[in-house]
Amino acid sequence: MLIQHLGPIASSLFSLLAIASLLLSFVMLGSRWLKNYLYAFATESWVIAALSATIGYYGNYPELYLIAILTLLFRGLLLPYLIWRIIRRLEVDREIHEILQPSSSLVIGALFVMFALAVSYRVATAYHLELTVAVLALTVMLSMKLIGFLMLAVRHEAISQILGLLVLENGIFLGSQILVPGMPLLIELVILFDLLIIVACFGVLVGYLLTHVGTTSTLDLKRLVG
Amino acid sequence: MHESPPATHQQNACSFVRSASPAVAAGRTAPMSARDVLLQIGQVLTVLLLAPLIQGIIVQFEERVQRAQGPGIFQPYRDLWKLFHKQIVVPQTASWLFWAAPVVAFTCMLTVPILIPVLTDFPLPLSDMGDILGGGLILTLGSFLIVLAGLDTSSAYGGIGSSRAVMVAILAEPTLILVFVGITLLAKAMLPFVVNHLLVSNWAAYWSPAHLFLVAAFFILLLVETDRMPIHSSTHIEVYMIEEGRILEYSGPLLALLKWASAMKQFILYTIFCNVLILPWGLSVKGTALGALGAAAGLVIKFTLVACLVVVVETSQSRLRFYRYQEPLAASFLLAVLSIIGTQLS
Amino acid sequence: MIGDLLLALTLAPLVALIGCLVVHRRRFCEALNLVASAVAFACALPIPFLLDGQAQLFWDNYVILDRASAWVILCTSIVYFLASIYAIGYMRLLDEEERLYRFYALFAGFGFTTLVGPLMNSVGIYWIAIELTTLVSTFLVAFERVAESMEAAWKYIMIVSAGISLALLGTILFYWSGTFVLGPSYQMTWGVLSAAAPRMNPTLIVLAFLLVLVGYGTKVGLAPMHSWLPDAHSESPAPVSAMLSGALLNTAMIGIVRFLGITRAADLGQLPQLVLVAFGVLSLLIGALFIVRQQGIKRLMAYSSIEHMGVVALGFGFGGALGVAGALYHMLNHSLNKSLMFFGAGNMMRAYGTKQILDIAHVGRFFPTQGALWLAGAIAITGAPPFGLFLSEFTIMRAGLKPSFSWAVYVMAVLLIVIFVGFMNHFRCMYYGVGAAETPPARGHVSAWCTAPMWLALAPLLVLGLWWPGGIWSYLTSIAQSLPGVP
Repeated sequence: MLIQHLGPIASSLFSLLAIASLLLSFVMLGSRWLKNYLYAFATESWVIAALSATIGYYGNYPELYLIAILTLLFRGLLLPYLIWRIIRRLEVDREIHEILQPSSSLVIGALFVMFALAVSYRVATAYHLELTVAVLALTVMLSMKLIGFLMLAVRHEAISQILGLLVLENGIFLGSQILVPGMPLLIELVILFDLLIIVACFGVLVGYLLTHVGTTSTLDLKRLVG
Repeated sequence: MHESPPATHQQNACSFVRSASPAVAAGRTAPMSARDVLLQIGQVLTVLLLAPLIQGIIVQFEERVQRAQGPGIFQPYRDLWKLFHKQIVVPQTASWLFWAAPVVAFTCMLTVPILIPVLTDFPLPLSDMGDILGGGLILTLGSFLIVLAGLDTSSAYGGIGSSRAVMVAILAEPTLILVFVGITLLAKAMLPFVVNHLLVSNWAAYWSPAHLFLVAAFFILLLVETDRMPIHSSTHIEVYMIEEGRILEYSGPLLALLKWASAMKQFILYTIFCNVLILPWGLSVKGTALGALGAAAGLVIKFTLVACLVVVVETSQSRLRFYRYQEPLAASFLLAVLSIIGTQLS
Repeated sequence: MIGDLLLALTLAPLVALIGCLVVHRRRFCEALNLVASAVAFACALPIPFLLDGQAQLFWDNYVILDRASAWVILCTSIVYFLASIYAIGYMRLLDEEERLYRFYALFAGFGFTTLVGPLMNSVGIYWIAIELTTLVSTFLVAFERVAESMEAAWKYIMIVSAGISLALLGTILFYWSGTFVLGPSYQMTWGVLSAAAPRMNPTLIVLAFLLVLVGYGTKVGLAPMHSWLPDAHSESPAPVSAMLSGALLNTAMIGIVRFLGITRAADLGQLPQLVLVAFGVLSLLIGALFIVRQQGIKRLMAYSSIEHMGVVALGFGFGGALGVAGALYHMLNHSLNKSLMFFGAGNMMRAYGTKQILDIAHVGRFFPTQGALWLAGAIAITGAPPFGLFLSEFTIMRAGLKPSFSWAVYVMAVLLIVIFVGFMNHFRCMYYGVGAAETPPARGHVSAWCTAPMWLALAPLLVLGLWWPGGIWSYLTSIAQSLPGVP
């Protein structure tokens, strides 16, 4: 497995990039303005693309270069552009009625990271792995997932929920790049394009929400109960 | 009362220190030489004398950045001189605490420089009186007494200032402890000197995520504890007063002591920030007089750099509303937790 | 032969999709969709008879056709066919002439993706197929452009996409645990995973399985991940509700079942099955509680879907030949029955112009045949004899009477009784008009397009309840024994 044969420079580079993307997801969690979310998400996608390229370089997986370029283009540029267009159509710039304050979200996010670390340790010791990069990758993947779910739960703006979902996918992508770089190319490509289709669907749905419900804040979606 | 605990404590400190570097061990084997005692006194004197200078530099830079003339970097010395020559006015409702608090706070600020690397990068005698955590506790003791003093005079502004100060402290202290824990875990030792050696000798440790996050977390704490933006409250509008509210009733030499103590606290925090975390170079290795003077000059240069950064942050940020003080502190908490996790993963 | 049948089965809806997008005329789209669904059904029907015990792989190992997937495809194609017939009559009532071609295109796409899902051999591509079903069905749910539909569609896509991403995480973890055994790069198919499973580390597999269970369980509608289901199933047009309940839930369930087979190969003990049983009991409980206090017809049917998926989960959780056979049989019966119920509910909604149970009265008097069919379906869906659901639920309960799971059987029995009483109470209100005025409904006639599928759904249900041929039984038990797939 790749991460069993890494030199110190490579492993510290991987950990730096992984932690940088985790930090960016915390930036998303702690901000109120929708544009800040978007920029943090775009930067995070670039960081993950850089990670893909690095893994391709150190692991001799030339197809990962292609994945890195596609990630940069689609997740790093096209997706944020589409979401930016959706934001521009809306009248809201930020979360107005907060369910959970950003500072409390940050603290809960820190607790999630600790939980993810505990789970990853358990898995790593089951495999007798002393590899810190594996534990780091698992931790970052699980904690970005949990942070994504937190964003989905406590944010009520439609855009924030979309971005929360994209953070979820980013986390999985990051983890899969480090842990399983040899995964068949087809699956990775299709998942990448799948995201594009999802965001396109979201764009259409947000348009419908605006037209028929009048607002994109899910606090107003309360008609169906019971 | 007991002789053994301090001895074992010293021995434990010894073993940590010896495992760190031979230079440090060499400095430790000569017990209580005159040069070491002089260096220790020199450290305290450095903090005492240079603290107002740093305060003056920060204020001057800030004024200059805002295109004002500025009072000059030696203004705090002139203020202290003026205050020492003024009359003390004591409120009728004050108690013994009114007199004791400035003195104790001043003394605490004089004690902490003994524990941290100010001029030398080897521990001096009495440096293992307390480790990083002990230093933090002594700093907090000083602040706590000033808070009590603000309440002691039973004036409304003192009460407000004290309660707000305590609220900020409640938010900041856990993060401070976590940062200290992170520093400890980084070097696997509780002495700041060991951390200093680790960061100087090991590039990978310097650029590791754990260290970088600690730097960021401590920077935010620095801003909060030294009362800079976005917590800044040293205006003289009563609603915003935190720092000024506590010491509103003081005058004369007592006020001078308090102002000096807060300048020294700022100096100490900057020292920990630079010498332990971000710029650990430039400390005297051998302990000669020339080295000590060079280290002091290096201190001023390093602090000026940090002061520039602080001024940049201060002029680009606006003041946060009071209920939003938790936000930078939550970010700091988060960074401290991430750095602790980073230490576990490397 | 089988390969040609499969090809026709999957290509027919695809052709219908493209045809509807190209030609926008309503009658053409209706006819094309109906023909495609008839072709799909006709191809799916003989496949289970033509299969022997071995799974067959097509198209460079990307397509697997074993007995389990053949069974699920049969259920799906039945629902697709019936719903297509019903849709012709129902959608005409909506007065949406210009947009109907989009409906039929999406409907054909939905049929395509649900038919293709169980056929996918690669685990990653199976995930992608499930994701595609979500995307296509969201727009079907949102087809009627009212605020409630938008809300339902938003909840649907959000919750299900988030849940499915958990399943993706579980898939990646499965792949990672496989790399320790099989090397860094391999084709992740069901067979390869279950062959390598005994050598994989149990901790990681337990984590991965739980993630997959929660992820695909969101799609299936197991409580507590069920919150999207009542909204989506009640706000979509009735043929879409039937497809969602009858076809989509099965397609997601087969994934869980296959992963369960992998964990059984890895010999993890009782934990995966215990978790599945716990989810099943919780779904039954939630279904029962919400059925009792329900006020809308279609939400009532949706909670009944949650309940029945809980029963299926219980069946798979209990395990053994009886449990798995019962659960698979339940899938077929539930597909038929739920389609029947949604068709009836859709008819009554259009006739009375309301979704509230209390506003619908005297159904039996105004719609004699409709009403009889619907009432028979209601009796069937609550598990009463002589219909098929009784047999399958009874089989599942028998399977659960082992010492470790008998508590679940008792709870299940009590909850089924509660559901029966609650459900029948609502129908009593609708048929005997408690307190409602005796005004005739707004639209007194239900078209033959809407009634015929109800006959077509009820008849097999009755037959399957009275006669359980040995062939089906041996087919289902062979699935139970061969769950992990091709070794």
